[in-house]
Amino acid sequence: MTAAYDDEQEVDATLRAVLRDVLGLPQAQVAAMDESSPLFGALPEFDSMAVAGLLTELEERLGILIEDHEVDADMLESFGSLLTFARAKALQ
Amino acid sequence: MSGPGLAYVRYRTGGRDEWAMRIGEGPALLFVPPLFEELNRTRALLAATMRALAAAGFGCWLPDLPGTGESGRALEDVSWQDWREAAAAAFDSARAVASVALRGGALLDDPAPARWRFAPASGASLARDLARAGLMTEGGGGYRPSERLLAGMDAAEPAPGTTVRTLRLATDRAEADLKLEGPPLWRRAEPQNSHELAEAMASDISQWARQCGLC
Repeated sequence: MTAAYDDEQEVDATLRAVLRDVLGLPQAQVAAMDESSPLFGALPEFDSMAVAGLLTELEERLGILIEDHEVDADMLESFGSLLTFARAKALQ
Repeated sequence: MSGPGLAYVRYRTGGRDEWAMRIGEGPALLFVPPLFEELNRTRALLAATMRALAAAGFGCWLPDLPGTGESGRALEDVSWQDWREAAAAAFDSARAVASVALRGGALLDDPAPARWRFAPASGASLARDLARAGLMTEGGGGYRPSERLLAGMDAAEPAPGTTVRTLRLATDRAEADLKLEGPPLWRRAEPQNSHELAEAMASDISQWARQCGLC
């Protein structure tokens, strides 16, 4: 297991890398995302199977554990909501 | 998936013959497959790596674990111990000089004294992922492993050894002997391949096996 993150920018960069790597999105598309960019339901690549892979990859790269009850449509709705969740987990 | 040097061969475990795919002739490497859906997602990567190693003079074996692939057994009847025994039996049948394991394969590779691993995963992490995939998709993601298999996997960790080389992706923060650029193909919902990653893996495996005096 890896040490917890201590830098907000690093969590942002990790989340973008995971979106690129797990969903297979182009680098330019991921780099252009801002907090209001919609995710779940808005990207054809981001289906329910991809959610499982994305959460597990975030766990491994950020050294966190995500409980099932923490996962819902609001958390996955936008880049901003997922980033807020990941920061709260990784920087606590 | 045909080509020169491709053969389907049998190995015996649990009182039955199981299948293995073999590519190439030469000092044998046992590829211990990733587990469950991760194998489907990385099959093209494994085949490309095996072909590159065959071209470098190795014989590469990829066994079907009991209850998977062309196995005559049902997955729900298979235990973790069955998989451990199958990996050991395949290693013996191949007369392998070393193992090559990707992800969860590293939980089963300890019959080999010399082990090359890529992105090894803990059993607990794979069990969480499997449970989560089952929750997300009604019907459990298509896999119905037994409790005995899940419990054994959940408790398993890659076994330490003296001749173990571990590679990971550059994006992975865990320790490794070498990190390679490339995508985590085992996460992709749609199976894909990366010839660059396969070439880089094959090159490192070949160099490592020769440096260790395995062939």
